Amino acid sequence: MLDAFSRAVASADAGGKFVGGGDLDALKSFVAEGNKRLDAVNAIASNASCIVTDAVAGIVCESPGLTAPGGGVYTNRKMAACLRDGEIVLRYITYAVLTGDASVLNDRCLNGLKETYSALGVPVGNTTRAVAIMKACAVAHVNDTNTEAQAGSKFRTMGATKGDCAALTAEVAGYFDAVGAAIS
Amino acid sequence: MKSVVTTVVAAADQGARFPSSSDLESVQGSLQRAAARMEAADKLAGNYDAVAQEAVDAIYSKYPNGQGRDMDAGTQKEKCKRDIVHYLRLINYSLVVGGTGPIDEWGVSGAREVYKALSIGTDTYVAGLSALRSRGCAPRDLSAQALVEYNGLLSYLINSMS
Repeated sequence: MLDAFSRAVASADAGGKFVGGGDLDALKSFVAEGNKRLDAVNAIASNASCIVTDAVAGIVCESPGLTAPGGGVYTNRKMAACLRDGEIVLRYITYAVLTGDASVLNDRCLNGLKETYSALGVPVGNTTRAVAIMKACAVAHVNDTNTEAQAGSKFRTMGATKGDCAALTAEVAGYFDAVGAAIS
Repeated sequence: MKSVVTTVVAAADQGARFPSSSDLESVQGSLQRAAARMEAADKLAGNYDAVAQEAVDAIYSKYPNGQGRDMDAGTQKEKCKRDIVHYLRLINYSLVVGGTGPIDEWGVSGAREVYKALSIGTDTYVAGLSALRSRGCAPRDLSAQALVEYNGLLSYLINSMS
């Protein structure tokens, strides 16, 4: 497992170089923006159960066939497995956001996931859609842009200090996209 | 590679839990010290050649004939400097990562066996690295906290060779 710092070290070592100059500037801004990152991890982790449930409920609403006999989440057992997997994916995404590097997500979660899902007959389209809903939800929590209209009675804002989180948001969204790409 | 962040994440993963507030606190703690480490890493990356030369000079003033297999004095000095630069690079990496992982994995592990096989005493390296440790001066070379981080890693390396 690598983080943003050890990633820089690993690539410098491949060329026998010192880490300095531009590489260090990127890490310095990682350090300077560290609190934003921790708030983002907290925003996702604190709302994990809500994000996952929302995504699974979302795909079931959009494709009613899923809960019909023969559907992807027909029987409580499969539904429970689906919720569990959503939480696992989201958990590895929080790890990736915290380390600032996708290696933990790739090595420990996505590696072989596509093959496993196709062996189990998990519908790809619905799964990627669930990941897309989690992405929208997580990004909204990271930026505190979720609204009462979207969330209804579950509406909650984190209330962290507002600031420019464009780079961090793009990074978080990128990890969800990586999950979608890995399983389709 | 081991750093504060990867250790925290590995532990959370072991327990299948989301990063907790105490996990975030320990990452925050490492980020607070990071600025000094980055400064030291930056200075070292810019000056490593001069720093290594000082270490080599210190080694040859203590051991005028050097150590190791028969080779001409020039080549021996060159190889000595190459090794010191190698250790400085590992210190640079460890400053960046915020842990001794790079020194452990790429420097310390197996060093004793290699130097024994090549009949080089580690005391030459210790002499050079100790000279660097006493030579560093704050705030002339780098800030006080950055010097603490840099000297800490030099000491770690010296201890591993003593």
